[in-house]
Amino acid sequence: MTLRHHLDEATVISFAAGALSPEMSAVAATHVGVCRVCRERLSDAERIGGALLGQQQPTLADEARSARLREAMLKLLDSGPAMEDPPAIGRGPHVLAPTDPDHLPRPLQPYFGRSWRELRWRWVAPGMHMIRAARGSGDTLILLKIAPGKSMPLHSHQGTELTQILQGAYDDALGHFGPGDVADLGDEIEHQPITARGVSCVCVAALDAPLRFPGWLARKLQPMVGL
Amino acid sequence: MSSSETQVRDADYWSCQMEAVSRRRDRDSFLRIYDHYAPRVRLYLKGIGSPEAVAEELAQEALLRLWQRAALYDPARSNLSTWLFRIARNLHIDRVRHEPCWMELENEPEWPDIDGGFSSAESHAEQADLQNRIELLPTIQARLIRMSYFEARSHQEIADQLGIPLGTVKSSLRRAFMRLQLGVRGQV
Ligand SMILES: [Zn+2]
Repeated sequence: MTLRHHLDEATVISFAAGALSPEMSAVAATHVGVCRVCRERLSDAERIGGALLGQQQPTLADEARSARLREAMLKLLDSGPAMEDPPAIGRGPHVLAPTDPDHLPRPLQPYFGRSWRELRWRWVAPGMHMIRAARGSGDTLILLKIAPGKSMPLHSHQGTELTQILQGAYDDALGHFGPGDVADLGDEIEHQPITARGVSCVCVAALDAPLRFPGWLARKLQPMVGL
Repeated sequence: MSSSETQVRDADYWSCQMEAVSRRRDRDSFLRIYDHYAPRVRLYLKGIGSPEAVAEELAQEALLRLWQRAALYDPARSNLSTWLFRIARNLHIDRVRHEPCWMELENEPEWPDIDGGFSSAESHAEQADLQNRIELLPTIQARLIRMSYFEARSHQEIADQLGIPLGTVKSSLRRAFMRLQLGVRGQV
């Protein structure tokens, strides 16, 4: 898949460092699962982590602790299973067997379940359905389904929004976003996506602050959306 | 000997130790790796928020995995500290933060690099070059990189803590990544 819109490098660093919220991580992992460019960047960011790990300087207090732990490790070597069998070739986090088309991307399954068919969409506005993930760390994770050829309300954000297109497409001031593309938006952006004709646009979005819709629509929509 | 030569030699040294573990189940080599890396992994885990006792436990588990999965080690492809970084981070996210499905812990990390499909050969010279580039980062970029990796701070938390705009945090991290990536990718 040739994708046009990728994760911000700053987001890739935070993802590699384990510094994204679970909700942001779920969206980033969904993108990385289909994007070779970001997979390579992630791997680079992990190497940076490795280099930094090597540069850590243990203190004397740590060394004192080390003797006891070393003894414990020696016992583990004696008692544990000698060696694990190499796993099957090609197994890896991103090399997933061809999945059932009814399955959601793996990183989203803990939040929304496994099956597209079993999703319980909630109507929030004409042509717009939503599911909000129940479990959460403070950030918000939502699935959005917007009817084809629909104009979303103009809105801006207070924080960061990470949106991955799962199906369909939309256009906004930043360009055309199709399946697999990710919109990694900061707080300076105000946008008004318009969905493409033909199929509904389904996307997953993580937000670290409430959305702000301007004007009459905001007052109408915000209580219903609950964002 | 320049610091860069020392680093190349270091990377070679650890790679040889790992090969001895991989091919001959050499316990002494494993313990040399253990003595060097276990305290570093513990420190890293504490930094990103594992309580002391948990950091100890997870560091032990990470090093034990290295022993158990040593047969998969390919010195031409993988760097020991990158592998340890990945497994320590994943253990932390799984056990301390209890996040669902961040990355499949069962499947990752393994020696053949994560995808096998993309080129990820990591030469020792490249690793040494990366070390140098980290040392040469401008102060603010180095600080943001450390806060990301060693404290697992989000962009917003960094912005709040240092009193700088979110956009500046992101653009500085982006620039730092591009500088370091040149080292990773072996370009000049
Ligand atoms: Zn990408």
